[in-house]
Amino acid sequence: MENAGIPSATICTDRFIPTAAGMAKMWGAPDYPTIFTEHPIENLSREALRARAEELAPKVVRVLTGEG
Amino acid sequence: MPESGDTNTGETTTVRWDSALEAIERCYELGWTDGLPVVPPTEQRVGEFIERSGRPSQEVVGELPERRREITVGKVAANAVMAGCLPEYMPVVLTATEAMLEPVFNLVGPSSSMGGAAILSIVNGPVAKELNINSRNNLFGPGNRANATIGRALRLVLMNACAAIPGVFDRSVIGHPGKYTYCIAEAETETHWTPLHVERGFSADQSAVTVFAGEAPRQVRAVGHPEPILHAIADVASSLGSNMSTSGSVGDTGVGVRQGQIVVTIAGNSNLWKDWTKAQIKEYIHARTQRSVADLKAAMVLEGEPVPGDSETMIPLIPEPDDILLIFAGGEESNMSSVIPSWGPKVGSTAVTKLIRWAGTEKNVA
Repeated sequence: MENAGIPSATICTDRFIPTAAGMAKMWGAPDYPTIFTEHPIENLSREALRARAEELAPKVVRVLTGEG
Repeated sequence: MPESGDTNTGETTTVRWDSALEAIERCYELGWTDGLPVVPPTEQRVGEFIERSGRPSQEVVGELPERRREITVGKVAANAVMAGCLPEYMPVVLTATEAMLEPVFNLVGPSSSMGGAAILSIVNGPVAKELNINSRNNLFGPGNRANATIGRALRLVLMNACAAIPGVFDRSVIGHPGKYTYCIAEAETETHWTPLHVERGFSADQSAVTVFAGEAPRQVRAVGHPEPILHAIADVASSLGSNMSTSGSVGDTGVGVRQGQIVVTIAGNSNLWKDWTKAQIKEYIHARTQRSVADLKAAMVLEGEPVPGDSETMIPLIPEPDDILLIFAGGEESNMSSVIPSWGPKVGSTAVTKLIRWAGTEKNVA
């Protein structure tokens, strides 16, 4: 999406650091600022997931505005 | 596990070696193996395989755009050599690769998911007998070169050409024994049943390969009488904890569980089934592969407090009878069967059957 000129932010859990690094290299952007959060999230309650999203939101804004 | 995200590049590399053992070790260093030794892919051997395919080395078999990979005939040939294939296996390996790269198969899903998926290939038609692809005793191995090496070639194509590197892009939590090899044939000449590829649109004198992203086979040890065997098969297919009876990534099933396709193998003597067609068997299994709302709520697959009637309200786990890929295969000794649930919901990966361009072992490309 960045290649298409659309600002984007990627969030991964921290068990997927090698996968995110591999994908960034594969797409020619080895320094791509993937945002990581503690694994896992699939069993979080709605409230806990919302709290996690609120915690990550400022990081997403920084990445989208190029200050990541 | 690699932490850097490094993968092989998918580009062609030329290296020199002085002995066979050195070459085998070098292939390990280059990250080209599945953990077992490979046949060194010399230019001459790969050239023989490309020639046998009847297609140019650079011809693109398919693409995996998510990983920026183009899969060519030459790359498939190199991996088929490394897997220990014979040159005449090339049309099967190439066609199965093309099938995996069809959009409805969604290869990036089963080749990356935390779920343990392996790509099962089922060969039908004259090619199976000509290449001696096993459909009987020890169906899932070991002991037969064609089954072992064709299935292994597909895994090496996935790892080397499609970047399905364990720990990087392949994030399966428990892996799958079938990821070393997972190729079988149907014993279609030893039953009155319609062969799988004919059910799926081809003729009996054509050859075809079906690819299916599946969990491991679960043996069903019920024998002797048709209904009890089918009852046991449906019971196994209805178990909690399979892909089909879980929630999440439900897609458009509209029933709260994933649902999915399954492969069923039935072995033994086909006479036991003389009063049954494949269509009747699929209807029988489909109608009984289900789970109660009470069970699904207890397992927290479905949300909500139990209410009266939950035990009698059943949720089907297979969308349609034709989502059961039934084949006659396995040893002649017993009517044992097996169930292979799909890796994901049908909307996440659908089995694909493709015609193998085949006209006999002497001149194998039609």
